[in-house]
Amino acid sequence: MARRNGTGASSSKRLRKTWWGYHRENGDVGARNYLLLLSGTLYANSTCERVARTLRHSVALTHPLGRCQIGPDIQRTFETLVGHGQNANAGAVIVIDHHREEGCTADEIAHEIAKTGKRVEAINIREDGGAINVTAKATRIGMEMLRELTNERRQEVPISKLLLGLNCGTSDTTSGLSHNKATGWVTDQVIKQGGRALLAETTEMMGGEGVLAAKCVRPALGKRIWRMVEEMEERILACGVDLRGSQPTGDNMEGGLSTIEEKSLGAIQKAGSAPIVDVIPWAKRANRRCGLHVMDTPGHGGESITGIAAGGSQVLIFSTGGGHTINHPLMSTIRITGNPLSARLQADTTDVDVTDIFEGAPIEVAGRRVYDEVLDVASGKMTKAEILHEDNAFAINRNGPSV
Amino acid sequence: MPVTAMTIEKGDNVATCLEKVAKGGSVRLMLNGNMGETLKASQAIPYIHKICIKPLKKGEHCMKYGLSIGVASKDIKVGDYIHVHNIESARGRGDLS
Repeated sequence: MARRNGTGASSSKRLRKTWWGYHRENGDVGARNYLLLLSGTLYANSTCERVARTLRHSVALTHPLGRCQIGPDIQRTFETLVGHGQNANAGAVIVIDHHREEGCTADEIAHEIAKTGKRVEAINIREDGGAINVTAKATRIGMEMLRELTNERRQEVPISKLLLGLNCGTSDTTSGLSHNKATGWVTDQVIKQGGRALLAETTEMMGGEGVLAAKCVRPALGKRIWRMVEEMEERILACGVDLRGSQPTGDNMEGGLSTIEEKSLGAIQKAGSAPIVDVIPWAKRANRRCGLHVMDTPGHGGESITGIAAGGSQVLIFSTGGGHTINHPLMSTIRITGNPLSARLQADTTDVDVTDIFEGAPIEVAGRRVYDEVLDVASGKMTKAEILHEDNAFAINRNGPSV
Repeated sequence: MPVTAMTIEKGDNVATCLEKVAKGGSVRLMLNGNMGETLKASQAIPYIHKICIKPLKKGEHCMKYGLSIGVASKDIKVGDYIHVHNIESARGRGDLS
């Protein structure tokens, strides 16, 4: 495979300006070349998993939704599934559904994914003769797809082809001082070189709206940030409960964070100093404009990074105070921490340790290490959780009830 | 040896203690990598929790990053441990509305 690692930050003053990925017909570039088994509804989950277990280099995305959801919620499930099929890390896609789910059929999902130019097949369990027959059919189609996918080569591409996802989790007081700062440094470098980054977690903008609004290239975008935080707060107030305990979470408070405002001001350090060029709803595809994009998602880590993956990110930095196992099955997820205790306790799934910030290392030194890891992972290096199959963070957000 | 406590913006009410601090233990403030004055902790402070470095009256905003992280629910003196027992969020309080 034509892939080079380049030189590490320690031996090189200049930042790397390229990475190696898989070209897609629509101009996107994938950091992975997976065959994606996409489940349209929960009753197709097991078939997708059965096929993915049989086929090397394949990933199944399964979920409990796609049925008995109303209006905006079924649309949200549909858009999330389409967004994952369109994500450049999927080289080809097989969508499997069960019978007929109005507004979220395999045919409709596949139709949208096909617009990217990648190969996609839709299979219906009932029409195609049941679970075993469909397993056989999807396995055969998938094998042929993989023969083609594995014959493709990575090519050298500029940073402008990267949409870097940003998320934090199990935050503590080290977050705003170390790993989120290092992430913000990386965000700035990616954007300076023509790339894009995607910030999310609306709950964790509460108290920091003014800081983010000031970064917006147009006042209207700043207003959208204020409004989406306000809507999140209204939903919380409507529950008639104290947010504390849920946000900040129990582990946030154990980590010294006293209020949501304190958590937010630490979280938004990930944004760096780059301009905000767009504000988009959950799971919408980010446009191609260079700069920082903001997505309206809850603070729930799995849901937030699922929204980011649907938005098109190939690689995500997950910066964590407590350490974490979180990993998206399709979007490569790099976990970093600056908390020395967590780096030790959660070393199994920590990809980059930035604890040297607390020994006096400048943010840039730690940031360069994270930057290099982002480009290495984008170019094929597997993260620890990817190797371990920690495929725990595909979670579709919903607002309404099941009906 | 005093525990280092990191301050973010000049004027903040709190600093983050990088190790746990015993009651009566000394804490040395650090701002932008420069070491500053030494304080005495009036209470024990857990690992990476906050110490008060500028007093607060009940109802005043507690500042960190140069911005409010909540409101003091009682008077807080320099050297006190600051957490959920003496500062409160002003946001998402469905219990008060």
